[in-house]
Amino acid sequence: MEDAAGRGMLAFFAADAAHVIRFDQVSKRYTTGQEALAGLSFHVDAGEMVFITGHSGAGKSTLLKLLAMIERPTRGSLTVNGRNLSSASRRSIPRHRRQIGMVFQDHRLLMDRSVFDNVALPLVIAGIAPAERARRVRAALEKVGLLAYEKLAPVMLSAGEQQRVGIARAIVAKPALIIADEPTGNLDPNLAAEIMDLFDQFQRIGTTVLVASHDLMLIKRTRKRVLVLDHGRLVDDVPATEVTA
Amino acid sequence: MIERGKRQRGVARTRARPFASWLEQHGWGLMASVRRLGARPMGTLMTVSVMGFALALPLTFALLLGNLQHFGATLGQTQAISVFMQPGVKDQAAQELAGVVRARSDVASVGMRTPKQGMAELAAMQGFGDALKSLDYNPLPYVLVVHPAGSLDTGRIRQLVGWLHARPGVDLVQDDGAWRSRLQALLDVARRAVLMLAALLATAALLVVGNSVRLDIQGRAEEIAVLRLVGASASFVRRPYLYAGLWYGLAGGLVAVLLTMLLEWALAGPVERLVASYGGQLQLAGLPVWQLALVPALAALLGWLGARLVCARQLRRTV
Repeated sequence: MEDAAGRGMLAFFAADAAHVIRFDQVSKRYTTGQEALAGLSFHVDAGEMVFITGHSGAGKSTLLKLLAMIERPTRGSLTVNGRNLSSASRRSIPRHRRQIGMVFQDHRLLMDRSVFDNVALPLVIAGIAPAERARRVRAALEKVGLLAYEKLAPVMLSAGEQQRVGIARAIVAKPALIIADEPTGNLDPNLAAEIMDLFDQFQRIGTTVLVASHDLMLIKRTRKRVLVLDHGRLVDDVPATEVTA
Repeated sequence: MIERGKRQRGVARTRARPFASWLEQHGWGLMASVRRLGARPMGTLMTVSVMGFALALPLTFALLLGNLQHFGATLGQTQAISVFMQPGVKDQAAQELAGVVRARSDVASVGMRTPKQGMAELAAMQGFGDALKSLDYNPLPYVLVVHPAGSLDTGRIRQLVGWLHARPGVDLVQDDGAWRSRLQALLDVARRAVLMLAALLATAALLVVGNSVRLDIQGRAEEIAVLRLVGASASFVRRPYLYAGLWYGLAGGLVAVLLTMLLEWALAGPVERLVASYGGQLQLAGLPVWQLALVPALAALLGWLGARLVCARQLRRTV
């Protein structure tokens, strides 16, 4: 009996460790009274790529904000890499964010810095030595196909290229988790497909990727697991194998 | 390129080389602050000028005060009590009194001016020569010039003056110590006023820097948000602004010192003429070098403090 209980505990912890993200009855109500998420429960395994979709206002952005600790859940518990974010202190936020790569719809680059400096920013913050930093920045830029542009200012690049600089910045510190909020929102279908290819590559080398998007065509073509939100509730969880083009 | 086995955490690396990465992060903040000031050259110039002028004012007063004090002290060394004998007193009686006075422990030295010497002095002054020639006798009395011992306070000097006045044959005792203590009191008041002025203007300088940094922070809300999102700590976000405050202060302090030195230079000519009229014993004393060096350092500290206070308020709400 004890043995069975012990094995049960072990299985519990093993499962928990494998889940990079675990939402457990998470609700978020803004001070305005708007209920953005209601009793959301799901988990994402290490190395998974997951789309989060739903109409605008369904809670996609709020979900990502909770993961980045930009917002805190009103109820429920939320763990990332085994750390409970609901009870984490304010002081621990910077360290938490350094372990996540974030990609934004409007890329949020520093317009008065070069492409290189933008991508190097997370490494400067993490205290990586300059030589190692330069090596990693170039590797990240090569990955997104912008190595030749490192000295340019972001304004000199096209929208798709700017987004790729944003992606290089998100992956340069080699995070185990990448979250992207409508990363293709401003791009035409071809550029959007290129961006998705990049995320696909990151997944293949073991990175967990979470992408919020309302672009159903793109989601169907990429064929990954899809979480569907509606008015803050999880209404569908479609495994990759069941996504049809 | 990014292989799973090679994954290294940035956080772990920071601990391996804490000092080097600390230096690099400060270097980043420093460069960012310079870029910030360079981005708004007019604003920077204005802030630095306002701070420079504000700090130059008490500094100039301190300079003037120092010189007045110096002036008073130099005059004080020549302080003497003049004892005018009655007109009929002869040379021998005057010499006797001089001997008695000289013997006192509270007297440093006694000089004597005969009526003949007095007449010669008067004759040397412009315009008196002809008038004196028309006199058929010398109306000037003997004068004893008594220098009190240096350590004497005003009370003891007053006692000495009373004693001198009571000597037979003494007509008038003139003590110039009264104006000296008045000058001293005046200088004390002025010194206090300069300190208060300095405190007020230092506060003004602090507010000026604080306001500039506040505008800077508001203008860079987007950049601050991005820094927070990629995991910058509060101190990392704050650092460029603290450096900016430091630069504002340092530059303002240097401007203040330059202005003061300029005023000093402009005053040197007139003061020299004033000095010549006092027999050339005086010189314009500049502020000591250590004070001049201390001003930019203190101003830099002030700028940093102004920036720190504003950062605490402005960056509190960023997530």
